[in-house]
Amino acid sequence: MNIIMTIWGFFQNNILTKPAFFVGFIVLIGYLLLKRPFYEALAGFIKATVGYLILNVAAGGLVNNFRPILAVLKDRFNLTAAVIDPYFGQAAAQAAVEKAGKSFSMMMVVLLIAFIFNIVLVLLRKWTKVRTVFITGHIMVQQSSTALWMVFFCFPQLSNAGVVTMLGLLLGTYWAVASNLTVEACQELTEGGGFAVGHQQMFGIWLTDKIAGKIGKKGKKLEDLELPGFLSIFNENVVATGILMLVFFGIIMTILGPELLHKIDNTFGKTQNFYFYIIEKSFNFAVYLSILQLGVRMFVSELTESFQGISNRLLPGSIPAVDCAATYGFGHPNAITIGFLFGALGQFLMIIGLIVFKSPVLIITGFVPVFFDNATFAVFANKKGGLKAAAIIPFISGILQVLGGAFAAYFFELAKFGGWHGNFDWDTVWPIIGVIMKYGKYAGVAVVILLLLSIPQFQYRKNKDHYFTIAEDYESYASSISK
Amino acid sequence: MLKVIAACGSGMGSSQIIKMKIEKIFKKLGISVQIHHSSVSEAKNLASNYDVVFCSEALKGNFANAAANGTIVIGLKNLLSEQEIEQKIIENVVNKK
Repeated sequence: MNIIMTIWGFFQNNILTKPAFFVGFIVLIGYLLLKRPFYEALAGFIKATVGYLILNVAAGGLVNNFRPILAVLKDRFNLTAAVIDPYFGQAAAQAAVEKAGKSFSMMMVVLLIAFIFNIVLVLLRKWTKVRTVFITGHIMVQQSSTALWMVFFCFPQLSNAGVVTMLGLLLGTYWAVASNLTVEACQELTEGGGFAVGHQQMFGIWLTDKIAGKIGKKGKKLEDLELPGFLSIFNENVVATGILMLVFFGIIMTILGPELLHKIDNTFGKTQNFYFYIIEKSFNFAVYLSILQLGVRMFVSELTESFQGISNRLLPGSIPAVDCAATYGFGHPNAITIGFLFGALGQFLMIIGLIVFKSPVLIITGFVPVFFDNATFAVFANKKGGLKAAAIIPFISGILQVLGGAFAAYFFELAKFGGWHGNFDWDTVWPIIGVIMKYGKYAGVAVVILLLLSIPQFQYRKNKDHYFTIAEDYESYASSISK
Repeated sequence: MLKVIAACGSGMGSSQIIKMKIEKIFKKLGISVQIHHSSVSEAKNLASNYDVVFCSEALKGNFANAAANGTIVIGLKNLLSEQEIEQKIIENVVNKK
């Protein structure tokens, strides 16, 4: 008995509570189960573990780079601040979970349970009416992180096993149901492309698809617009992040002034020019984000590949729910730029609004939500409502992103760590789920899961004849509605 | 061995999908390949080291320089359509050799 306890103790201390090795071993075992050669499994193990360790370096760097500025904002203006971006959100959630004395490895356990539950819901599609499997690895990691913190926050007393089981079921339901909501919109946009969106703004896509036709007509063409060429620099992640951070932190640090910053930040050299210090400090965010993405890419590519394999093997006929950028090929490049610009406009106006109305949380625009959410909305909006819808919907989305993000960062106390997830569903649907969890406790979680599960039932009732054909055989669907 | 890079905005989501799909098609066509995936900005700098670049049709413009230097640049409309990928590989890679 003693030996077993010793082995378990060793396993728990060295692997189970160390996310890097935990992820590595999952990949190793997965590859061995898929009967890949041992050297490939070993390579997968190393890449996954190293990827996670890289991610750790970057997440720490991101939070540390921000910390002195957060401290001063708190001290001087009694303000907290959060960048609304899933990578900042993930880093903040990790810092919060670890500060609460919990192991961040549980994020991976949640992710696996949620993925398996999504598959179960599709296997039972005769009853559940769920058609989609969410396989976007990096998004699954980010959402598991943020949601894990939300559950710890709402249920501080719950055992670890309870946390991962409950959240696994909740998140798996969200992945299945929300991506399933995008099937009709995606199939119509892509004329039977055979995929749905599994990302961070699925409820938004569904809404966009419903209202775009009412806002505008297909009349005024977005394709005819001549957009200035310099906008293309925003195609590059690093450049866009660098510019956004420079604008926001430039303003904040200029207001704080050089004397104060000298006092709180010892990386500010005595002879260094103030403005070059600001540039360096702002660009550091782009540095850590790039490193973070490198790490995520390394361990997630192993994950996504095996998810794809599993869902192909287990679930023929189901639809993969993938990255929202897969829709961009079906929209005009102008749609992507218009969505980003009007989303940014909405965000900036709302941020000014937060300052005017003395919000306790200051929001800083992060690149991922303002670009990817709003570009996606514009692509869908343009299809049904033309230019007018492609401008108005991202604009409203930008406003909601800031408003919901500010509320969530404040309510779930992640503003202390400088970040909130920030994508559309996480500024609208998830804060509501979180509040229900906080006050409704277990009954609240049960109600949320049941409500989510009822959504595909309603979709099915409204469209019994075509519900499965639109997903499985678009051509026969298209010909049957044109009759 | 053909050297191939798949690119997308962040270098995470859609480039990974492209990679998995083209891997399958190249295997089917019996062409041996080495495939990487990355963000557009990285791929832009590295494009001259590769024989073929795959990306979304919307991002093809980023690789005009590489295309001028002889790298084959293939823009995809539906990243998940094996039919489109196969047809474009045959058109741009197999028939050009």
